[in-house]
Amino acid sequence: MKLSETLILENISLDLKSTTKDGVLQELVSLLDLTPAAKKNLLSTLRAREELGSTGVGDGIAIPHCRSLVVRDLVIAVGRSKKGINFQSMDGKRANLFFLIVAPPVGDPSLYLIALGRVASVASAVAKDKRIKDVKQRKQFLDLVKELEE
Amino acid sequence: MNGQLQILIALQDVLGLIREAKDASHKKALDKIGLKMENLEALEATRAELEGQLNLSVLSEYNRVRRRYGRIVAPVIGGICYGCFMKIHLAIASSEDRNESLHRCENCGMFLYWV
Repeated sequence: MKLSETLILENISLDLKSTTKDGVLQELVSLLDLTPAAKKNLLSTLRAREELGSTGVGDGIAIPHCRSLVVRDLVIAVGRSKKGINFQSMDGKRANLFFLIVAPPVGDPSLYLIALGRVASVASAVAKDKRIKDVKQRKQFLDLVKELEE
Repeated sequence: MNGQLQILIALQDVLGLIREAKDASHKKALDKIGLKMENLEALEATRAELEGQLNLSVLSEYNRVRRRYGRIVAPVIGGICYGCFMKIHLAIASSEDRNESLHRCENCGMFLYWV
């Protein structure tokens, strides 16, 4: 699974407006092509996942994720917050890059874990790349991801 | 979407999270990425709260299906129930507002959700 092949332009927001953790989850979910009822369900599952422990992995990155019945295939959305948000990350730092991963409950569970690992690795590379601060358009972001994945 | 179906979907997702949190190999894999799954009590409380929102008749069927399969709602994709992989009865499958009512698979008995 390659992030650059799964992520579509419509699912990228480079200027998240939210100032809270829940607000970021709502903004990320709003990017997805789902019915309002499905979005409501997904949001509730993502909140439940956060109850288990924050998905803020540190170094400014958060990877909210879950498996949910409301999606047919693996979907990914990415958000960037210029100011950063308190996501209760392990290192106590604010998160400014968010990678949302939602997988259907059917299918091989190991593929979901592989996708999570893959996204975590690319997310780390993106966060460390100085060019991320200059990225202004969604296409630029996708190109950067593609380059880092190669 | 039917309100009871919405709760059942939320419950299935939460049950999946609980299963993952109890699965040592899943937890270990997430741990390597820096993702923690620790506060299981909070999730059990969410599950109880959702179960409390089910009608008594739905709750009874939910318990029966969950005991049998460990899951309660099967996605329907391309007219196929992904609980038992049997074709759904055409009359239900072709109805436009199928997620507005609570349907169950005639074969496996799982609640159905058209993705």
